[in-house]
Amino acid sequence: MAFINLNNVTYKYPLTKTPALQNINLQVNEGEFVAIVGPNGAGKSTLCYTLAGFVPHFFKGEISGTVEVAGMDSSKSTLDEWVLNVGLAFQNPFNQISGAKYTVFEEIAFGLENTGVPRNEMKPRVEEAMKLTDISNLADRSPYSLSGGQQQRVALTSILVMRPKLLVLDEPTSQMDPIGTREVFGVIRKMAEGGMTVVMVEHKMEWIANFADRVVALKDGQVLMEGKPNEVLTSELLAENGFGVSRYTSTTREAKKQGLWKKENLPVTLDEAVEGFKK
Amino acid sequence: MHERLSFFVKRDSALHHLNPLTKIVLALSIILVSIFSPWYWTSHGLLLVVIVPLVFIGKVANEYFTSALRLILPAAGFIFFMQAFFQPIGQTVIFNFWFLDITQESLLFAFRIATRITVMISAFTLFLLTTHPSELMSDLTRRGLPPQFAYVIISTLQILPQMQAKAQTIIAAQRSRGLDTESTFFKRIGSVVPLVSPLVFGSLVEVEERAIAIEARGFTSKKAKTSLYEISDRSSDKFIRWGLVILVIISIVLKLWLS
Ligand SMILES: Nc1ncnc2c1ncn2[C@@H]1O[C@H](COP(=O)(O)OP(=O)(O)OP(=O)(O)O)[C@@H](O)[C@H]1O
Ligand SMILES: [Mg+2]
Repeated sequence: MAFINLNNVTYKYPLTKTPALQNINLQVNEGEFVAIVGPNGAGKSTLCYTLAGFVPHFFKGEISGTVEVAGMDSSKSTLDEWVLNVGLAFQNPFNQISGAKYTVFEEIAFGLENTGVPRNEMKPRVEEAMKLTDISNLADRSPYSLSGGQQQRVALTSILVMRPKLLVLDEPTSQMDPIGTREVFGVIRKMAEGGMTVVMVEHKMEWIANFADRVVALKDGQVLMEGKPNEVLTSELLAENGFGVSRYTSTTREAKKQGLWKKENLPVTLDEAVEGFKK
Repeated sequence: MHERLSFFVKRDSALHHLNPLTKIVLALSIILVSIFSPWYWTSHGLLLVVIVPLVFIGKVANEYFTSALRLILPAAGFIFFMQAFFQPIGQTVIFNFWFLDITQESLLFAFRIATRITVMISAFTLFLLTTHPSELMSDLTRRGLPPQFAYVIISTLQILPQMQAKAQTIIAAQRSRGLDTESTFFKRIGSVVPLVSPLVFGSLVEVEERAIAIEARGFTSKKAKTSLYEISDRSSDKFIRWGLVILVIISIVLKLWLS
């Protein structure tokens, strides 16, 4: 059975009329890196909360269909168990700082303290995680004194250190520069290769094309399309539905109309575009 | 912004190595003894013979004397003048200012009160300077303080300066849209209104997000929590704590007995 298995999931937040998710079917295998794209209000964050167990255990509201992750069924297990298997990091890094810790090192250890990891394991695990995301030099700083991008790395590290089976990331690089984005994508790719399953909401199409195994496009709470990154990100359907498109895709789409682009597929990244124009 | 959000200074000293609870008991005992002791010179003695040496043992002399200059002296000075002028005791008038008489007795009394205040604030400052807030909270949680309670205290201490900074940002943003925050009192009261909603509603959304974030890191997990720091609680700590409790009891008994 698939590692993530959503079957006909429909969900409404309390006191709302239209469902934020409608008839979602999604299967993801262990170790897969899936990217979610979609316009504002499409339900991307809601999907993340569902995978992380916060819908329906934290947000309440009405849910139908089945949600299974790592062998747990959301109607039967508690948030408490869920959290041990699924890590969640979201967009605003400032609100993810626990507020209970004075240094980055302590901040990252917070989840380990809460889940009862013995002290002698804690230090090496925090150090290893910080090395992975390249923030060892921030260990003694106050988490509040960091830049947005640095805080996002701390938020990601605080989750990675807990070694979840599924990593759910809601726009984790929104405040990072291109170098930071590349590093974080690299780290996440490496985690996926190591067997961690990753679901990530992201707007940066070129990065998705370079790193993700599969893309799911959401609109109005429904899956509009899913498939290989290049297929989905260059499809007419997405362009027609107001999704963000990589500039290389939109440029070559024009070029193709004028007969300047000879290949069948449109590119998403600069490399693909250069390669295509050479031929 | 604020790099240092707590008073704590990291040093390697005997005082730093004491258990946090021992340091709370120490600070409270100094305060209680200075209140209850029947002799007027106790406070002066505590200051010179206990607090000042402890400041050096704790290797926080620089930080202590800086805060003494900035915080403790002004507070004690204020108390001193209030007491000296408005304490209607004694006959020996030293000098006279308008309708106020300053007597030798009121002057002495004011000096004692001011010293006592100095001792109290100093004891507390010393405690804050040498105690790591996270260690304090871990230790108190381990002794049975509910973690939610500990979290509320420590996060409030940290988040208040953040809220303040955000209020400043919102004010700047509203002002750039033409909001008047600098003219008459009533206009300014009126102009606080547009500040409230972004701050409060912003905070509500933030509270929800923060709740999710700490929940995602197992805050309400039923597993027994562990702690990053090894918090020592040696038999010497217990010995010191009981010794201090006995000292406080003695000073209370003496006070009752001699008065
Ligand atoms: N806590 C909530 N209570 C009620 N409705 C909500 C709540 N959070 C989101 N919604 C609604 O659910 C729908 C999906 O929102 P969601 O946040 O999942 O979108 P999104 O794809 O993450 O958008 P964005 O790109 O802006 O982050 C929206 O119509 C939104 O208004
Ligand atoms: Mg969102």
